[in-house]
Amino acid sequence: MAEQFVGKASEFKDGDRQIVRIGEQEIGIFKHEGEFYAYSNFCLHQGGPACEGLTIARVEERLRDDKTSMGLHFTNDMNFVCPWHGYEYDMKTGEHVSNRKIKLRKYNIVQKGNDVYVIA
Amino acid sequence: MSSPKARAPKQTAKSATPKSAAKTAAKAPAKKTAVKKAAAKKVAAKKVAAKRRSNEPVALSGEDKVHFVKAIWEGVSKGGKDSGKASAKSAKTAKAKAPQVEILRRIPAAAPQNKKQNALSQKGLAFAAELEAAFAKGELEALSPEATQALMGAICKIYGANQESGNKYPILSGRMAVTGTDVMITCGGLLKAADLQVFELGMWQSWTGI
Repeated sequence: MAEQFVGKASEFKDGDRQIVRIGEQEIGIFKHEGEFYAYSNFCLHQGGPACEGLTIARVEERLRDDKTSMGLHFTNDMNFVCPWHGYEYDMKTGEHVSNRKIKLRKYNIVQKGNDVYVIA
Repeated sequence: MSSPKARAPKQTAKSATPKSAAKTAAKAPAKKTAVKKAAAKKVAAKKVAAKRRSNEPVALSGEDKVHFVKAIWEGVSKGGKDSGKASAKSAKTAKAKAPQVEILRRIPAAAPQNKKQNALSQKGLAFAAELEAAFAKGELEALSPEATQALMGAICKIYGANQESGNKYPILSGRMAVTGTDVMITCGGLLKAADLQVFELGMWQSWTGI
């Protein structure tokens, strides 16, 4: 495992993504709310480009006390969706949203000044 | 026969001065020992290499071992004869082993909708936010049926006119969490209000492509 330079922090705006190949690994690097996250770009379902689909806020249904629905609402938590078959992963953990046992491989990110490195 | 005069310069050329003779005499044994040591090291290294090639167990004398270790040490020691080659080789292999980072694609964040809204649109957005907040609190009657009908009618006209004039945009934004049930109920209500059947809608859509 070595630090691999992937870009300048100033080049990433919030919400930007970058897909890089390091050796045989494809890694998606996200900048979300000022933090960097890096995950394997191979979807756990059928190997689709997991990090290249939509980024979408998590939808939750709000219920009244008597359990009647107040409709669906977007939360502040962000997910990203594999464009092949819609597997949805948590931006901050890489876990599949409906089955937390399924998890994309996460790579650590190191920021040294303006330089961003992924440990792969 | 050569004359003694002719021989004299030859003799002077061969004979050295006492000082230089002493110097050469002191240097000669040191040089000889260095050459001998180097030769011994080479011999030891060759012996080991030969044994290695023949897959025979290496049996060296104590002196050979010392020479071999010295030869190995000098080969990799800093500033040694082969250290340059060794460092170049290790740098080459390190370079080959280091994985290359290849940027496959950059995906920019979705462009924010910073379109300037006119006064009426700003009022509309604020009103919609108020309605959403009231709904979130469970106030289903926040908007009276008359107000809902008036709003729905106005929105139908504005949206329909925009679509027909070519200013096409989706009726709901991607971030609005409207359920399929909500949409079906509202569409059904609109069709019923306009006395239209679903098959008429389908036929009209296939003709117009809207």
